[in-house]
Order: sequence, then C-alpha cells, then structure tokens
Amino acid sequence: MAVAQLAKDVRAFRSARVGSRTRAQTLWGYALIAPMMAGFAVFFLFALVASLALSLTDWDVLAPPQWVGVDNYARLLHDDAFMTALRNTAALTIPNVALRLTLSLALAIALNSRIRFRAFYRTLFFIPVLTMPVAIATIWKWLYDPTFGPINAALGRLGLPQPEWLTHQGSALIAVVIVLLWSGVGYDMVIFLAGLQNIPREYYEAAQIDGAGALRQFRDITLPLLTPTTFFLTVIAIINSLQVFDLIFVMTEVGNTNRFPTIVYYIFEEGFKNFRMGYAITVAWVLLMIILAFTLLQFRLQRRWVHYA
Amino acid sequence: MNRLTLRHALSEIVLHGVLLTIGILFLLPFVWSVATSLKPLRDLFQVTPSLIPSEVRWQNYTDVLDAVPFVRFYANTIVVTVARVAGQVFLASMAAFAFSRLRFPGRDAIFFVLLAGLMVPEQVLIIPKYALMRQLGWLDTYQGLIVPLLFSSFGVFLLRQYFLSIPADFQEAAMIEGANPFQIYWQIYLPLARPALAAFAFLVVLWSWNEFLWALIVTNRTEMQVLSVGTALLQGQHFTNTALLLAAANMATIPVLILFLFFQRHLVEGITLSGLK
Repeated sequence: MAVAQLAKDVRAFRSARVGSRTRAQTLWGYALIAPMMAGFAVFFLFALVASLALSLTDWDVLAPPQWVGVDNYARLLHDDAFMTALRNTAALTIPNVALRLTLSLALAIALNSRIRFRAFYRTLFFIPVLTMPVAIATIWKWLYDPTFGPINAALGRLGLPQPEWLTHQGSALIAVVIVLLWSGVGYDMVIFLAGLQNIPREYYEAAQIDGAGALRQFRDITLPLLTPTTFFLTVIAIINSLQVFDLIFVMTEVGNTNRFPTIVYYIFEEGFKNFRMGYAITVAWVLLMIILAFTLLQFRLQRRWVHYA
Repeated sequence: MNRLTLRHALSEIVLHGVLLTIGILFLLPFVWSVATSLKPLRDLFQVTPSLIPSEVRWQNYTDVLDAVPFVRFYANTIVVTVARVAGQVFLASMAAFAFSRLRFPGRDAIFFVLLAGLMVPEQVLIIPKYALMRQLGWLDTYQGLIVPLLFSSFGVFLLRQYFLSIPADFQEAAMIEGANPFQIYWQIYLPLARPALAAFAFLVVLWSWNEFLWALIVTNRTEMQVLSVGTALLQGQHFTNTALLLAAANMATIPVLILFLFFQRHLVEGITLSGLK
C-alpha cells in the first residue's frame, strides 16, 4: 500500500518537474531566438511589406510617397531602359551558367585524379573567388583598355581585331562573361570536388572489372551521382548571374554612362541616381519574381534528372 | 606493365600542362595588376605595353594614401567586418541552438518563416532599409553599416544543421546537472561546434570585406566609406592614373588573400558545408 502510494507520489513529482521543465524550455527557446527574430522582423518582414507598399507609390525620398497603384508595373512594359537591362542580364546569365558549370566540373575532375600538386592548383583557381569584385573590375577594366591594355596588344600582335571591349554592348557582354567565369569557376570547382569525393571508389572499381572505359564511367557513374551537386550549383549560378552588380558598376561605366546595365544596376540607377524609389522597388520585385520562377521551375524539373542516393 | 606506367606518366604530364596553362591564365590578371601598379606614368601610355615596369615606383602606393584617406577605409572595413562577424555568429548560433535543441510551440513554423529570408534577393529590401536608416539618422554611421546586416537566415540554417549532428546526450547530462539552456549553448554546444563556427565566420569575413551595394548606399561622407566603395569611387573622381587605381585595388584585396592562406582549410570546409548540406 505504502509502496504504491510512494510510486504514485514519485510519478506525480516527476511529471510536475517535466511540466515545469517544458515550460522553462519554452521560455528559454523564445528568449534565445528573440534577438535574431527581432532583427529579422524589422529588416526582413517589415522591410518586405514596406517594399511591396512602396512599389505602388511615386517616391523621391524627400516628399512623402504618392499612391499610384499599379502604374509602376504598367510603366515597365514600355520602358526601353528596363528592357535593355533585362536583355543584358539574360544574355550574360545563359553563357555564364553553362560555361561556369562545364569548366568547373572539368577542373574538379582533373584535380580529383591522383595528380600531384592538387592543393597548389586548387588554391590557384580559388584566389579570384576571394578577391573583392570592385578590385576585379578595376583590374579587368585596365586589361580591356582598347588602346593601352594588354589584351588588345596581344590581339594586335596576332593580327586579330582589337575591339573597344567595354564600349559596345556585344563585346561588353563577352568581356563581362569572361570576368564572371574567371571569378566564379573556383567556387563551383571546390563544391564539385567535394561531390566527387563522396562517390564511393568501389563503383569505379566494379565498372573497371566490367570493362567500362573512362568515358563510360564518367557518363554512367560520375554524372548521375553528381546531379545533386550540379543541381545546387545551377540554382546558385542562375541566382548570382541575375544579381550581378559590383562588376557592372565599375567595369562597364565608360564616360559617365553604363554601357552594359543589368537589372540590379538599373535598380540602383533609378533609386539612387534618379531618386525614383517607387519605380526602383518595382523593378526589384520583378527581379524577385524572375528568381522565384527560375528556382521553382528547377525544383520541379529536378525530379527528371537529379538522383539522390 | 611498363607501357601502362609510361602512358600514365604521359597523361599526367599532359594534364599538368593543361592545368598550368589555365592556372597561369588565372594568375596573369593579378601579376599584371601588381606590375602595372608599380609603373611610372609614362609606361602606361605605350601601345605595346610591357609587363616589366621601366622603373619600380613604390610611390604610387603612398600617392594613393595621400590622395584619399585609405587608412581610414581600412579601419572602417575592419570595424564593420569584426562587428558583423561577431554579431552574425552570436545571433545565428544562439537561434540555431534553440531551433535544433529546444522544444517550444511554433518552433518549426518560425524556422520556416526565417528560411523565407533565403529566397528574397536583397535588392527588394534595400530601399525600405535605406529609408529606415534615414529615419533613424543612421546614414553615414557605423551602426547603419552594421546593424541591418547582422541577421543571417543562412547562418541559422547552416549552424542548425551542425547542432543537429551533435548527439543529444550532452544536453541531457547537462540538464540533469541543473544547467540552463543558455549555459548548455554557451559552455557545451558552442565549443563543440567550433569547426562549423570557424567556417561560417570566415564566410562572413569574406562577404563583409567585399560587400559593396549596402555600403555604397548608406555612406556618403568619405570618412565613412569602406574599402570597396572607396576603391570604386576613386575612378574618375580622384585620378585617372591607372597605376594608382590598381595600387588601390591591390591594397583592398591583399588582407583577405593573406587571411585565406592561413585559414584555407576553414574556408574550403565552410564552402563545402554550405554547398552540400
């Protein structure tokens, strides 16, 4: 009898302790996320709602915003400068993503073999990733200089045409893509390398026993098993390409006009040079929609080609 | 057997040849930049430029320091970066600990909302944030450069993954000893997560050091500019001498490269971590 009573008491005591423990844990939980969430509420949630509201206004920063409804969105359709920015961004995104993934995969595979000086090569390809984009743009702007730059000097010596690289849209596109590749390939390479190292060696050994050549192994083992990495890198590369700014701000600014404005450059120009904040935000929302659309599309398409082990 | 090893050696030589060529192409812009930054003015206007300066002019570097408060740009960048790193690591790890190790109502829903932060490009938020800074009188201040960039959804996401991989036994043992959750976070989980924290911290250093758009918008006075903005605005504004522009670009970059040589392992780990989890 007494023992049963004791057991009951113990149980009651325990559940009371557990109850107060969960209550305490709840309070602690909220307390520990509070600083993060407070900042997030102000600089993300509030800013997001304010952004949506401001996109429906005319606002020059000084006077209070004027409500214009969806006028800003309607204006986009007839805005040639916006269309140019959109076209430039699309034009750099496609070759940049395709070449970046191909080149970085090739480098990663080369470095994944048991070759000597791997760390040395990896460091070499990685240095541009660390370099400040503004500094990169400054350096390359000089390299592309039509009259005194080394690139045109080399082309001239080979008897090839010497374009005014950054002045015309077509050659500026090529120039920008080259710099983007140079500065981005190292990042993808490191991630591809990690992906390659996750593929079990036995797969290749088994394939060798079955008499599969290097090409066959690449197609049937490496590529499929690497698809989660490829998928991730494609998503990131598209998002990054759509948001190129620092490089454009410095590199393609020739004689006070930008010869290769991208979407983010246009947002900056409209907002902080022309002080059309409402319109600038509208362009930013279009960018958000494009990024979201591409990301969702890719997540949808991934079922067809991404293999998760 | 001999033919096989010969073939292997040959293919390795070819591979080294290709990799070295690409490596030199990767390095050449830097070499050119360093060489040009040391050239006297007359070397810059030659139609067949040579890599080697006709005379090494270190004075280009001191000329930059004389023309603009470059030392101040360094100081600003360091202050801002240290504050952003400390803030982001502390706030994100504390929240990540709660999201991964404590149970409270609404936890997963709140975390999900936080993840939405990863989906929205900063350009959408930058103008409302700028307006807020104006309202608060934070333009051209350190707090304006630092505070809005302290809250990283990405950091919470990354560190939560890491905390989840640490066995819960530590936490239970500490709770029986009577430690409160903050103590468990601070004294047990933070030290255990050191590799992930170092990797995340280095990513934040790199991002913060090179950050441009926000710094460009919230600062106007030269004394408050950071290296990226100072270097970008040198162009046309202060001088047209390319040697000086490149000297500035080199000076802005070098600290990160040195840091990288020391912390290479952490950075590569961090990038891999952020890429694969």
